[in-house]
Amino acid sequence: MSGLENDNTLVAESPAREAWRMFRRNIPALVGLAILTVIVVLTLYGTLIYSGDPYEIVWAPHEPPGVTPEFPLGTDYLGRNIVAGILAGGGPTLAVGAAAAAITMVIGISLGALAGYFGGWVDNLLMRITEFFQVLPALLFAMVLVTLFSPSLWTIAIAIGVVSWPQTARLTRAEFLKIKELEYVTAARAIGAKNGRIMWRVILPNAAPPLIVSATLTIGVAILFEAGLSFLGLGDPNVMSWGLMIGANREYILDAWWPVTFPGLAIFLTVFSVSLIGDGLNDAFNPKLRER
Amino acid sequence: MSGFLTRRILYGLMLMLGVVVLNFLLIRLAPGDPAVVIAGEMGGATEEMLESIREEYGLNEPVLVQLGIYLGNVIRGDLGESFFFNQPVAGLIAQRIGPTILLVITAQLLSILLGVFLGVLAARKPGGLMSAFVSVFATIGYAVPVFWTGIMLIILFASVFPIFPVEGMASVKLRDAPWYVQWADIAHHLILPAFTLAIIYLAQYARLSRASMLEVLGSDYIRTARAKGAAERTVLFRHALRNAALPILTVAGLQFGNLISGALLVETVFNWPGMGRLAFDSILRRDYPTIMGVLFFASAMVVVANILTDLSYRLADPRLRGRT
Amino acid sequence: MSLLEIEDLRVTFSTRHGVVTALDGVSLSLEAGETLAVVGESGCGKSITALSTMGLIPMPPGRIAGGAIRLAGEDLTRASDARLRAMRGAEIAMIFQEPMTSLNPVFTVGHQIAEAILLHQTVSRDQAWRDAVALLDRVGIPSPDARARDYPHQLSGGMRQRVMIAMAVSCRPKVLIADEPTTALDVTVQAQIFDLLNEIQHDFGAAVLLITHDMGAVSEMADRVAVMYAGRVIETGQADDVLDHSRHPYTQGLIDCIPSVDHGGALREIPGVVPPLHLLGAGCAFAERCDHARDQCRSAKPGLRETGGHLAACHGAAEGWL
Repeated sequence: MSGLENDNTLVAESPAREAWRMFRRNIPALVGLAILTVIVVLTLYGTLIYSGDPYEIVWAPHEPPGVTPEFPLGTDYLGRNIVAGILAGGGPTLAVGAAAAAITMVIGISLGALAGYFGGWVDNLLMRITEFFQVLPALLFAMVLVTLFSPSLWTIAIAIGVVSWPQTARLTRAEFLKIKELEYVTAARAIGAKNGRIMWRVILPNAAPPLIVSATLTIGVAILFEAGLSFLGLGDPNVMSWGLMIGANREYILDAWWPVTFPGLAIFLTVFSVSLIGDGLNDAFNPKLRER
Repeated sequence: MSGFLTRRILYGLMLMLGVVVLNFLLIRLAPGDPAVVIAGEMGGATEEMLESIREEYGLNEPVLVQLGIYLGNVIRGDLGESFFFNQPVAGLIAQRIGPTILLVITAQLLSILLGVFLGVLAARKPGGLMSAFVSVFATIGYAVPVFWTGIMLIILFASVFPIFPVEGMASVKLRDAPWYVQWADIAHHLILPAFTLAIIYLAQYARLSRASMLEVLGSDYIRTARAKGAAERTVLFRHALRNAALPILTVAGLQFGNLISGALLVETVFNWPGMGRLAFDSILRRDYPTIMGVLFFASAMVVVANILTDLSYRLADPRLRGRT
Repeated sequence: MSLLEIEDLRVTFSTRHGVVTALDGVSLSLEAGETLAVVGESGCGKSITALSTMGLIPMPPGRIAGGAIRLAGEDLTRASDARLRAMRGAEIAMIFQEPMTSLNPVFTVGHQIAEAILLHQTVSRDQAWRDAVALLDRVGIPSPDARARDYPHQLSGGMRQRVMIAMAVSCRPKVLIADEPTTALDVTVQAQIFDLLNEIQHDFGAAVLLITHDMGAVSEMADRVAVMYAGRVIETGQADDVLDHSRHPYTQGLIDCIPSVDHGGALREIPGVVPPLHLLGAGCAFAERCDHARDQCRSAKPGLRETGGHLAACHGAAEGWL
């Protein structure tokens, strides 16, 4: 093991650089990165190029896509511009997804690290709590939380985080259990490093690769979650989002397919690109697994 | 084995106790007067109603006494009263749990059977077309919002190929038909929702069983089976699959909670008269006793599913039998 | 005609380093009832020879590029998959190196033996089970009735190898291939397994192809021996003759590795390692590790030639300067 690490330092390439080199060669992952970049740029700056109020009734209802040049994706049941809705809805969708993933990771990594590092009764207690949270159907629990504490972008992100951390906690715990037995952790302890330092400065950086992959995939799950809640009408009522567009137009799907199809495609492409990136990172961090 | 089962069931009951306590805490932690929360904001509850709620839930007593009263009620099967439907929550859920179980179990079986079949086919040629298809399909299946898949299927089957019903669970016109006609009718209605729900997990099982099969197919005992002169089909489906099924079972158990979450959305899309639809309706009406009841029963389904998974795991893997 | 004849067998594998030749013109023959030991270090091609004979080379990446494997005159390299399946387990059976992992963990051992019987004989399930129990008894497993209902993880390594042997001989094969059957076992158990193999061979009349890296096993078991190096047979003959009068420096090296009192108890080994197959040059593959190698050895591959009563592939032995 230590021989291998010496080899790495000889080649003078950090694991991160090596992973990036692997990632660059992974075509699906690059496609994912490209799609995600386009989506992020459009949601950030799209409204500058294509201004339009997503709530404003601008045309006749159910104008099909491609007929009127001003409304390339058509209009919805009220006659609102679908392109404007998608551009305006992207920001909140992505923001909630990212925030929820961050909350998930913070809760999951903290609890998982404590359980894995200290073991014993701490581990036992935290794992029982984790199992308890895994018993609650996540979406239903999130729905309850959002309704009880009234929907806003923050409550939604927090609710998604509160229901999705158990998997991250399990992963972190497993990594900590594995890494805390390695020589360099013993060495750090031997020179008198405190528990906190060992956990966050020694073990966590070495557990980073699987956690980064997990964080990426968590963003995708969180976006799907947000979409599901907004679809059910539990999103922030004052903010446009892709899920809300689908939910609002649901009653009229047999009259007009486009008001639900395009926002759905937007969700799909976002999550798809994120998971391509996640898979690419996974392959980049575990080159050995690629041959499977 | 029976010792293991007893301990597993006791632990499951502990988890359910946790769910009850959580329900209790959630109502108290929510902003506002718990009595108003319980009555539901849509109800426009009168002061008399609120007073009777305070009486029933002991809301004027200390918190621990309130918890005791609440626990006692749940143990007696009393999950409270829905002020919107004006009937006991337990009864409401009893009417709705059957369709949900039917939908979830059909979707679970469909996704496992089809997913494993695809995965096994893909594993036969790791670099082949089927393998590539399974990988792409799994990534797509993972990224599609389940409610959107449902809507797309409704559009497709309602207008383009009207061969499946896209709404509800039974046709009204068959209400007086013989039982087997009604059953066939339910099965017919079940196809689209079950398939919609299955599709995400199907893709994941396909990817998982492909990986699991590839690992198992490299084992020494597979070579032994071939050395005996077993046919390739026997090697794949008897010798390899029995071993490859173990990680699939684990994931199937863990996915059950997510499957119920998915069922909630699918029931809403297809107007399937189950618990998910009930949860959706009661959340829109702020009917908390019903929502909490649904959360309780949905969690109970996950607990039962987990116990069944553990049992089947021990049946499938002789190395675990005899351990407690 | 011998029972099993391998003639000029060439097997190649496509790898990251291009196509490599794992077996380069291997010829072996096995007479009914005899034991032929194929000896060499890991990577010399002895296991590939065994797997080719069973038709168990994964293809791709493997390919039989030439030669023939004849069992009682029938060329197995040209046989159909169905014919190979019918033959595997029935006419040629194999015992593997790792008894711990070679049995399927989810089936009882009785079931696994009975399955082999049912695959090749038309008997009832009950009869197959009774035969399996009788076989377990025959290979020296106590209370075979109960053990047949055990799963592999409930048995010790030696017991599992006995189960493997019972499974292999269940259809009375003409050829029994034993691939390092004792490597994974304790030394005391090794001797028991060799005794059992000898007995079984005697009772069932099977010819045994013993794959091993251990010259000690050769002297205990084999009638004849073939020493392999880098995909070629480099010395072959009667076991006693080769052991006592080996002509090839590599064989001598292997013999010197047998731990014995004469050597003062110190374990010896041949310096260097088997060269990777994709780096084989034009000369003798052993030249790099050979103390006696001359220029000739590095430029031309020696063929098998009669020398001192048996065959050896060494320029020095053939020309008498060694």
